[in-house]
Amino acid sequence: MAIELPHLALESLARAEPDPERLQRPLLVVVTSGAAPRVHTANRTARRAGARPGMALGDALAVLDTPELVEHDPDALRTQLEMLAGVLLRFSDHVHPEPEAHRILVEVGRSRRLFGGLEALRQQARDTLFDLGFHTRIGLGRSPAAARLLARLRNPAIAEDPESLRRLLTPVPLEALPLADATREGLRAVGLRQLGDLLRLSRAELARRHGPELLDLLDHLLARRVETLPRFAPTPVLDLPLRLEHEIHATTALAFPLKRLLRQAEAQLRGLNRSLQGMALELTHREARTRLTLERGQPGIRADEWLPLWQTRLERETLPEAVIGLRLRASRLLDPPDRGDSLLAGDPASRPPADQLPAVLARLRARLGEPAVTRLVNRRTPRPEEAQGSRHDLAVIPAPVAPTPGQRAVGAALWLQGPDPTTPPDQPQWLGRLEDGWWDHGQDARRDYARAFDRQGRRLWLYRCLRSGQWYRQGYWG
Amino acid sequence: MGALDTLLDHPALWRGRSATPAPDAPVWPSGHAELDRALGGGWPRGQLVELLGAPFGCGETRLLVPMLTACGQDDYWIAVIAPPATPWLPGWQTLGIPPERVLLVHTEHDRDTLWAGEQCLRDPAFGVLLAWLRSPVETALLRRLRLAASESRACAILYRPPTATAQPSPAHQRLRWQATAAGLELHCLKGAGHWARSGHPVQIPDSPGR
Repeated sequence: MAIELPHLALESLARAEPDPERLQRPLLVVVTSGAAPRVHTANRTARRAGARPGMALGDALAVLDTPELVEHDPDALRTQLEMLAGVLLRFSDHVHPEPEAHRILVEVGRSRRLFGGLEALRQQARDTLFDLGFHTRIGLGRSPAAARLLARLRNPAIAEDPESLRRLLTPVPLEALPLADATREGLRAVGLRQLGDLLRLSRAELARRHGPELLDLLDHLLARRVETLPRFAPTPVLDLPLRLEHEIHATTALAFPLKRLLRQAEAQLRGLNRSLQGMALELTHREARTRLTLERGQPGIRADEWLPLWQTRLERETLPEAVIGLRLRASRLLDPPDRGDSLLAGDPASRPPADQLPAVLARLRARLGEPAVTRLVNRRTPRPEEAQGSRHDLAVIPAPVAPTPGQRAVGAALWLQGPDPTTPPDQPQWLGRLEDGWWDHGQDARRDYARAFDRQGRRLWLYRCLRSGQWYRQGYWG
Repeated sequence: MGALDTLLDHPALWRGRSATPAPDAPVWPSGHAELDRALGGGWPRGQLVELLGAPFGCGETRLLVPMLTACGQDDYWIAVIAPPATPWLPGWQTLGIPPERVLLVHTEHDRDTLWAGEQCLRDPAFGVLLAWLRSPVETALLRRLRLAASESRACAILYRPPTATAQPSPAHQRLRWQATAAGLELHCLKGAGHWARSGHPVQIPDSPGR
């Protein structure tokens, strides 16, 4: 299967563009590397006005009314194409991007049954790329060369055996073949017009007159000789940059480009057969960067699950300056989870497995901020005011730590505060003694813990410092 | 009609959205026989319960320890939202509450507290919600919380200052607590059972062992 992306340059731009109105105006992608700047691609409005690819920029400017000009960036297009190749990995394990031709080849011979036939497979591939914002021309053939040719000719026919392939290719004009100019001229000079004319001639004669490359091409086209293509292996990290053509000042306006990025991430992860639990978003400003992270309770890749989380997260942010680019990254990709979706998953009575984190954590953190949602862990030090640390990394459930004997000695109070100096209580009920830091001169703590009532009826948790005799309130008994 | 009634009484038939709670409505044990009777079995799951009183620290958290222990041992999570002090988890653990199941959420406004509470109730992993409100709140927000609670299997406890007694509330039950010399006195301000009608307070003595 050969997938051509005829509007790759324009559609890459459109993906980054939050304002669809702008795309209606004439837009030119310009190559500035040569002697005079030339038009590489023009959008529909510009073409209607008379601009053509290959035209000198000066000529195009003469026919267009203040077009948008964007510089042609082959590296960005290559990255884009490789991203799409990663997406197509879900249809086959053998994918080969051809960046010069804006084309991706996919070996689908083994996947056709899985996807319900070639026609269904083609439709799925087309829909997948269309959802990402790309139009495609897809050709299916027994050989890569035939598929390329059919994609270029927009011929939807599928030839299953050598004979029908031959019949299909017979009326193809020679201009459509990827031939060197000299060869093409030579063939035209002897009166050959169609591929069928070539096939009728003797092979030895053709090779002698027009070179062995022509024979190679014919063999490749008719699948008489196997053309091996390298396999595309995507990098196993998620890193999707997106340059915005317009500055964005409000966080709400980020939703549109972000949605695109998340869709793309979903498609790519589907291709890689990986999942993720957390991702980071970098907002690029002119000078600085803002880095935001998001972590969920359960791994998942669906864009429509991540988008509301990011929106809640972004609502909390105020942009220090305008955003000119986005970048979505995830360094830790996970194996996909088992499909545990049961029929009655929505039943509130069913409880998720004990070792899984509640899904709500991500939502809470997105709105309230990461430090606001915590779990306390025991640091196993005796002094209560230092014995607990808050743990923000909720992805891992820590092993339970039993309270140390020193922690048991101070009593099973419920609430911790202070310590604050206080007046001696009336009738303290003694709990136990804590001795800590006696090896550290001046830092020792010898305390007798007690609980007592105060006048308001509160159950206080107190201690008396044995050095000074001063009473302190450590918290509430509960 | 007779045939239909027989059918509806059939124990194997489960009816969604029944208006009255089933006689064996799930509860968490309260640990006090008298309170269990008054509450109709224990702390009700799937209900919003307001506990009104002041000041913080009179034993109104210790009152719930048996429920928290049962909840933690059943592997449910406990959400502690906007408490006035930090939980002393080694103490909780000594009482039998697994500390790794306690989620602590800090909020700046009561509005966020209610929102976070609602989110937690919508997650089936939570068995108990403890939330503290500092000031009067809009009834509409409380109504949302009540709705979330009644669709969940968690017992939602909302601690409010005693001034909120005057304000009507959509909570399923409202209990007012007062510290006494021997423990805690609970008055039922609102509820479905006979306790609310009788008007008798329930005395919860301080347990010396805990």
